[in-house]
Amino acid sequence: MARMKFICDAERCIECNSCTTACKNEHEVPWGVNRRRLVTLNDGVPGERSISVACMHCTDAPCMAVCPVDCFYRTDDEIVLHDKDLCIGCGYCYYACPFGAPQFPQAGAFGLRGKMDKCTYCAGGPEENNSVEEFRKYGRNRIAEGKLPLCAEMCSTKALIAGDSAVIAKIYKTRVVTRGKGEQLWGWKTAYGGSDKVSDNLGAKA
Amino acid sequence: MKTVIAALAAGLALAACHEIPQDAAKPYAGKEDVKPYAGDLFKGDKQKFEQALAARADHENEYLRTHDAKQ
Repeated sequence: MARMKFICDAERCIECNSCTTACKNEHEVPWGVNRRRLVTLNDGVPGERSISVACMHCTDAPCMAVCPVDCFYRTDDEIVLHDKDLCIGCGYCYYACPFGAPQFPQAGAFGLRGKMDKCTYCAGGPEENNSVEEFRKYGRNRIAEGKLPLCAEMCSTKALIAGDSAVIAKIYKTRVVTRGKGEQLWGWKTAYGGSDKVSDNLGAKA
Repeated sequence: MKTVIAALAAGLALAACHEIPQDAAKPYAGKEDVKPYAGDLFKGDKQKFEQALAARADHENEYLRTHDAKQ
């Protein structure tokens, strides 16, 4: 069985936010909840790097370990999901998660937390697949439609890739081998690799 | 008698030497989820479901699509 994971290629991410927008729109995520977000290091400085972060569906998930009501479960595809009917909104998972993935909608005054919400890998939750109830609680179930998470499929530069860990690791390896390495790589070449033809290079005279 | 006492003492001394697994599977107390391939689209065909996901994953590899990869 597959082990579903995300990889974000920091050399390719252009901070366009199409992943976050796609996620928000696809699942109709409420205000204040960000299942996916972009983190930029050294913003504005040459050589800045951005990565798209959401639930990484850890193999040994700390959220699962600390949950006092045991509302987390793992699917056959190793996607970490949770039952919102059981969640008490205690926030332990938020403190345990190294990626800040669990999000809490404001449920009332004085910062009262609602039930935890996080990236579902577009796999819904423990409700009937593609039902109204599943969409209302967890968002759309693209996995049940044989599709991958929309954030990855919408990524304009394919910096964010999703799928079976063996498959996406191979894609990433192919990329690294093709684009090469070294200080001479900059901009386009860093992400996509150089070309032997001079006319293919950016800024080349026609 | 001495043997019994020695065995008990050894048992007590070594009692703290065991290791509790940190990654023990926790029980899930929520509702059972249905399989993603159980719907009308795949009709329970797990292989067809996995092939569909693998095809989508391959589509993310533009080097494969353009036959431009250096393997």
